[in-house]
Amino acid sequence: MSQREEILARVSSITSLPTSATQMLALANNPETQIEDVQRTVEYDPGLVTNLLRLANSAHFGTGSAINSVREAVVRLGFKRVFQIAMTSAVAPIAQKEIRGYDLPRNGLLRHSAATALAVEYLPKRLSMRVPDATYTAGLLHDLGKIVLGTYLEVNSAPIVLKAYRESISFEMAEQQVLGTDHAEVGAALLEYWKLPQIVVDAVRWHHAPNRFPHEDKTVVDLVHVGEHVARICGTSSSTDGMNYSVCIESLDRLKVVPDVLEIVASDVLSSLEEICAIFN
Amino acid sequence: MQLTVGISEMKVSKNPGDTLVTYSLGSCIGVALFDPDAGVGGLIHCMLPLSRLDPTKAQQNPQMFTDTGVPALIQSLLDKGGTRKRMIAKVAGAASPLNDNGMFKIGERNYTVLRKVLWKNEILIAAEDVGGTIARTMTLCISNGKTTIRSGGTEREL
Repeated sequence: MSQREEILARVSSITSLPTSATQMLALANNPETQIEDVQRTVEYDPGLVTNLLRLANSAHFGTGSAINSVREAVVRLGFKRVFQIAMTSAVAPIAQKEIRGYDLPRNGLLRHSAATALAVEYLPKRLSMRVPDATYTAGLLHDLGKIVLGTYLEVNSAPIVLKAYRESISFEMAEQQVLGTDHAEVGAALLEYWKLPQIVVDAVRWHHAPNRFPHEDKTVVDLVHVGEHVARICGTSSSTDGMNYSVCIESLDRLKVVPDVLEIVASDVLSSLEEICAIFN
Repeated sequence: MQLTVGISEMKVSKNPGDTLVTYSLGSCIGVALFDPDAGVGGLIHCMLPLSRLDPTKAQQNPQMFTDTGVPALIQSLLDKGGTRKRMIAKVAGAASPLNDNGMFKIGERNYTVLRKVLWKNEILIAAEDVGGTIARTMTLCISNGKTTIRSGGTEREL
């Protein structure tokens, strides 16, 4: 078994997605889902209720007037928003932990994940594009592979970083050369195991190489790619890999992004990021 | 006491026991300004070069932009007894991604705007660690003005 196969085989033995998030995923896939089903699922998880109400009243997710109950949140925000909040809430405790092998301090990955999720919401708004609902989830979950590698498989990224800087190659290319795989492929394997929608799995798998995604419609993968670069502008780079990633110019072209849009979106993201991260601290 | 300077924030102190620190300087620019005679120092972490991008946001939070944030930092030191000609400026950040084809030149532009602002205020850059693709942590010690940069597991004095 190659090192890559060994790593991918171990993905299933690591942490599972919290039950409430798994149930929300099932509800999202069921066209018969009723408000009561969503309400019951959320109310079954007291932690989720607390986070849902706090996020539902934040500037980013909220509507401006106070939301005081789960039912009110579902009715006023709609299922799409409640689902996004549930996923953010489910991922926060996982992404909050320090990732020693990748030199990410406590809250480091959470900030980066939340910033990317916000960026993939603000980018299409500024570009007047309609995008699939799963885009936010793809942005939120794009770097979970780092947890698998840096925490559960105890990969030490120091030699990877050294290789990247010495050979002037991007961090994920150095990961591939050292480990036989990279955090994007490992993250996608985890999400596939968790039964996330294929559109999310694909966007995570190819977020560093959108041109290699073998489908014509690359919108979500392009957004996650560019959104992650915006998140780095917002000061969410880790101290090891920094900004040592390539920009896919074709992604920018396909999305019709100009430099001013990147800066405006970065300022949009930063305005919401602190409030969202504070909810989980 | 260690005071953390978040992104688009600044902190100024005259307390010799304080150390100011800012993390994850990627394309952002970090400026440590110190007046040794007045014993006052400040650290700022600006995200974007020019406030004309969004004048409303610039008004709410001048520290988000280099062209409004750095003058605010200078003014804060002046308010606490500092003098321009004694101010020592040290700079870090302004990184860029690989192969960005000019689209993500935010780091370089942050640096260019910073030089203009400091030049207008007749403040020279005493030391800098800028560019490349690395993320940096910058620290300013108020007791002696010592500025350090940490990146990729190593720390050095600037």
